[in-house]
Parts: sequence; C-alpha cells; structure tokens
Amino acid sequence: MSSYQPGSVETKPYVDPTPLPDGIPKVQELGVTSGPLKSAAFFIGAYCKEFNEDFMLCKAENREPGHCLKEGRKVTRCATDLITKMRENCLSQFEAHWNCLENNNQEYYLCRKPERSLNSCMFEKLGLTKTIPGTPDGQKPIHEVENPIYKAIQK
Amino acid sequence: MPVPWEALIPFGLITAMFGVSGTLLNMSTRAQNLGKPTRYNIDNWDEMMMRRDEQLTGHKRGQRDDPVPPPGFETSSVWFTEKTA
Repeated sequence: MSSYQPGSVETKPYVDPTPLPDGIPKVQELGVTSGPLKSAAFFIGAYCKEFNEDFMLCKAENREPGHCLKEGRKVTRCATDLITKMRENCLSQFEAHWNCLENNNQEYYLCRKPERSLNSCMFEKLGLTKTIPGTPDGQKPIHEVENPIYKAIQK
Repeated sequence: MPVPWEALIPFGLITAMFGVSGTLLNMSTRAQNLGKPTRYNIDNWDEMMMRRDEQLTGHKRGQRDDPVPPPGFETSSVWFTEKTA
C-alpha cells in the first residue's frame, strides 16, 4: 500500500440547491438555532402537543422522508408561532436563559435561576408550564426541587 | 539567618509557567468557541444541531433566536456523500 489510494468519502461538501417541487405547499422553516430551541423545548411540547403527536405517530407508520410532509408543515408552523409569541412576551428572560445554556454546555441543571424566571413569565403571559413527562407520581419534578444534589459547583 | 530567596525562584517560575499555559489554553479554546466555553460530551444529536447552527449562522457555536431563517436556508444542507463508482 505504498501507492496513492483515492478515498471514497468526498472532501468537498455536497450541497444540492434545487428547491422543493412546486406541488408541495411552502412553509417557512424555523430559523432558530439549538440554544434557544433547547430553552423553548418544553414550551413547544406544551403548546404544540397535538401536532407533534400526530407527526410522531405518522412517522411511526412509515419512516420515508416524503411520507409525513403535511404533519411536518403543521409542526413547523406551530413551533414558529410559539417562538414568535415567546419573543413578543418574554424576550429578556428567554435570552437570559438561552445565553446561560450556551455558556454551560446546554445543560438544564446548571441554569435553574434563569429557567425559573422564564417559566414564571411564560405561565403569566401565555399560560404554559414546563412538565417533564414520566416523572414518577409523588416525586417533585427535578426543575422544581429546591436543593438538588446535582448542581453547579459555584453558587 | 537571611531568607534563602534564591531557592524560591523555581517555585515562582513553575507557578508562572502553569499559569501562562493554562491561560493561553483557555484563551485558545474560548476563541475557537466564540468566547464561550467548549461543548463536551457531544453526542450525535448535538453534532447534528451544531451542523444546523453552522447552516444558520456560519459558525458551529453561533446562535440566533430569530424565527425567520436567512435566505437559502432550505437548500443549504450538506449531504454526506460517498463515491461508489
């Protein structure tokens, strides 16, 4: 193996600029990056529950990319709607929370203080609460525990 | 007896060298991550989200909270390709 062996993985990135065909209705994609999305995740779950569940059940039937486009469009529109509402009502708390997440490896347990103020703002203005599905009954959800074991090293 | 201050010079040197190398390493990693600490324990989901962040903002750690994406976002994803022929 002392001669040059051409590799099989392409070195230049392959980008396909052809847009979707005109028969498919257009929906504007969500332009939010990972930090704000993680911050808004539980609120998207509370606000868009039916659309998300429809999409997941549809995909569970058939995992082809072209199968659940209609449900996917509904999910995108609902999430965009919620992010716009969040920004109108709770912009400063939202920004504080996702900036905190970005500086802490996007871990929720390191950013409880901004999270609490965001949760109270969202509950006041939009009536959405963060619930963690799958918490055992009788146990407080981890984001409401006063003195957790796993927390940041510094106060 | 006067304090043997020449003997403490190596301690000072070692402390200074640890400090300088630690500071430079910290500055280098923060500069690569746009002033934020590095991401660790990254799994496939996080890698995928960082690829999407690069599509949206131009840098793996760039963030934006505008729901409207930049123009051309729908068609700018990079496909993993392999030459088979």
